[in-house]
Amino acid sequence: MSATLRTRDEHREQPRDDTRAPRRSRQLSFGHWWWALPGIVMVLAIHYVATSIGGFFAFTDWSGIGSFAFVGLDNFVKIFSDPTKFGSLLNTLFLAFGSVIISNVAGLVLALGLNRGLKSRYILRVLFFMPVVLSPLAVSYIWKFIFDYNGPINLMLKSMGLGEYAKAWVADPTWAIWTVLIVLVWQNTGIAMVIYIAGLSSVPVEVEEAAAIDGATLWQRFVHVTLPGIRPAVAISTTLGLVNGLRVFDQIMALTGGGPAGATETLATQVYKQSFALGNFGFGAALALVLTVIILVFAVIQQRATSGKQGEN
Amino acid sequence: MAQQRRSRVLRTTLVAATAATALILAGCSGSSNESSGDSNSFTFTFATSNNLKSPYQSLADDYMAANPDVKITSNPTPNDKYGETIRTQLSAGNASDVIQTTPGSGDARGLVPLAEAGFLAPLGDTAKNLVPKGSESIFEYNGEVYGQPLDFTVASIVASMGTAGQNGITEFPTTMDDLYADCSTLTAAGKSMFAVAGAAGPNAGLTAQAIAASRVYAETPDWNQQRADGKVTFAGTDGWKDTLQTIIDLKNGGCFQPGVEGGGFDAITNGLAGGTSIGGFIPSGSAVEIAAAAPAEADFKIQPFPAPDGGKQYVLASSNYTMSLNAKSADNSAAKDFIDWLATPEAQQKYFEYSGELPISAYQDMDLSDTVYSSVVDLLTDGSYTPLPANVWPNPSVYDALQTGVQGLLTGQKTVDQVLADMDSAWDA
Repeated sequence: MSATLRTRDEHREQPRDDTRAPRRSRQLSFGHWWWALPGIVMVLAIHYVATSIGGFFAFTDWSGIGSFAFVGLDNFVKIFSDPTKFGSLLNTLFLAFGSVIISNVAGLVLALGLNRGLKSRYILRVLFFMPVVLSPLAVSYIWKFIFDYNGPINLMLKSMGLGEYAKAWVADPTWAIWTVLIVLVWQNTGIAMVIYIAGLSSVPVEVEEAAAIDGATLWQRFVHVTLPGIRPAVAISTTLGLVNGLRVFDQIMALTGGGPAGATETLATQVYKQSFALGNFGFGAALALVLTVIILVFAVIQQRATSGKQGEN
Repeated sequence: MAQQRRSRVLRTTLVAATAATALILAGCSGSSNESSGDSNSFTFTFATSNNLKSPYQSLADDYMAANPDVKITSNPTPNDKYGETIRTQLSAGNASDVIQTTPGSGDARGLVPLAEAGFLAPLGDTAKNLVPKGSESIFEYNGEVYGQPLDFTVASIVASMGTAGQNGITEFPTTMDDLYADCSTLTAAGKSMFAVAGAAGPNAGLTAQAIAASRVYAETPDWNQQRADGKVTFAGTDGWKDTLQTIIDLKNGGCFQPGVEGGGFDAITNGLAGGTSIGGFIPSGSAVEIAAAAPAEADFKIQPFPAPDGGKQYVLASSNYTMSLNAKSADNSAAKDFIDWLATPEAQQKYFEYSGELPISAYQDMDLSDTVYSSVVDLLTDGSYTPLPANVWPNPSVYDALQTGVQGLLTGQKTVDQVLADMDSAWDA
């Protein structure tokens, strides 16, 4: 059957041998730029126009309903003169950088361990990747139970005779932010691992073997052979992690609600609280604009830092 | 040839752009006529906190059974995001015809700012006659009533006298000394006097308000008006300092369950139904819901919080839920008839049965001596109660500062003076 088809195709294409070049060029231009117009219009209307209108409200005192007045830069002055908002900014950066660093180190270690050799690596990859596909909200509620005063951690401490260390972990001013970080890392490590496994598959085994024959230690092989080979994967994984870390919201709302007394508030939770719960939509929009600029700045810095080294490579 | 091709491209581009725009507009306007039902049908949005059948749903079902030609489409909405949801729907023009609101402006669902923005239609004399005397300002805007009160909620302590009796407490304490003594007894038995959801802002805030009733409003019933007039401040009022200091003392005295700062609403439900705590600072209607999950001998009663030495007992009691009419539905006679029906003795009696909340029109004539309200009947009769302060406060940020502040007091992050200063700043903002 397939032989017949091939013959028919060959037969059909034979007389057009001389016109193959123009036909190929027509094939290459299959589809036209304006075919994407509905999509482009949608993206512009839903994403950029909506975001721009939101940005416009950052310069107003709109409460979310009714009329509003222009207040210039007042909302931004309020943000930078309010110490609690500065605390939210610090929390945002702590969670973003903390989760990126720990998730990527853990993800890389897992990827190296599960790259080759280990017989059970496929099942282990699935197990470590599983948290990524779960809903952040559902995961956070399970962790909230684990961290609860009557939860398994405190029960374990009490059974070990360490009852004096039992506490309401998500409501402890010192520990609450760490509980959020633990949940973020637990859920983000899997995606970092998958990206690094994909990156490691492009590192030639021969080069590693050559380095080993030349007497390079395991660490030297990792630093001078493996790491340069997976630099694009590092760039992707850290950029995604940083952007997701800067806009973290679900986990905080489910675990701590920004508490205790604002100890785990981030810019994203403040945007929500100000805009929708407290009716300060203009102020919330200004906070959102600040968050957008921060994400943009860090994403650009991070991209430039990693792409420069890739060029050298 | 090239020109023909260009014009074809241009034509197709225009068609595609028009189609995309039409699609977007269709998407945007898809649900915008939700509130324009015919004269025999309307939509009804109300808040719901659990998976039990809402009393509002039961009332709607009863109304439809009695009026077979009327169709009510209910939109139960989660309580924790209710204010934001109705504000968004009203702004988008697709809110329901009848909307559950709250009196005043201290909450995102408060009817005063919604009326001010032109989203609600004024109601008639039926609603006006139900507004409690002296509380007109939180039901009205520009002299018109925009919310019909439905309930008369007592927000104090719901206590299981059955659990108290099992632990040797035969009467609920009426002095602070007795309270702390009972707290010690219960702590020694591995139990607590109160279960508080310290991590849940609304419960932390209600706890402070219930204590403030006897420390601030018993002595100065018009304190909120004085604050609005600039005559007093939170930070300069001894009653508010005493209120917040009492919360710290209760925690240090072992009156709250261990880990109170991390407790959610489940801590109250489980504590009261499971017999590990005697009481909680929750609205009166919740007693009926928790009683359903507790053993029969739990015997829930609404109790006032002990007054300070030399002070008098005072509770929070007011209508906390109102029914409002969407301004777009001002001509929907079926929706208006339903709101009027909710004020009838028949509907009010049903509401009491379904929710456990006292009906606004008839609570003064009811015999409450054999109900969960028996311990506060005298206080209600002699007027020893004040409306929920947060409903009267000018913006939601004041109550938020109190909620967050109480959490900070429980964890040691904030001092009494800091919390009160935050509340003053939020008021003046």
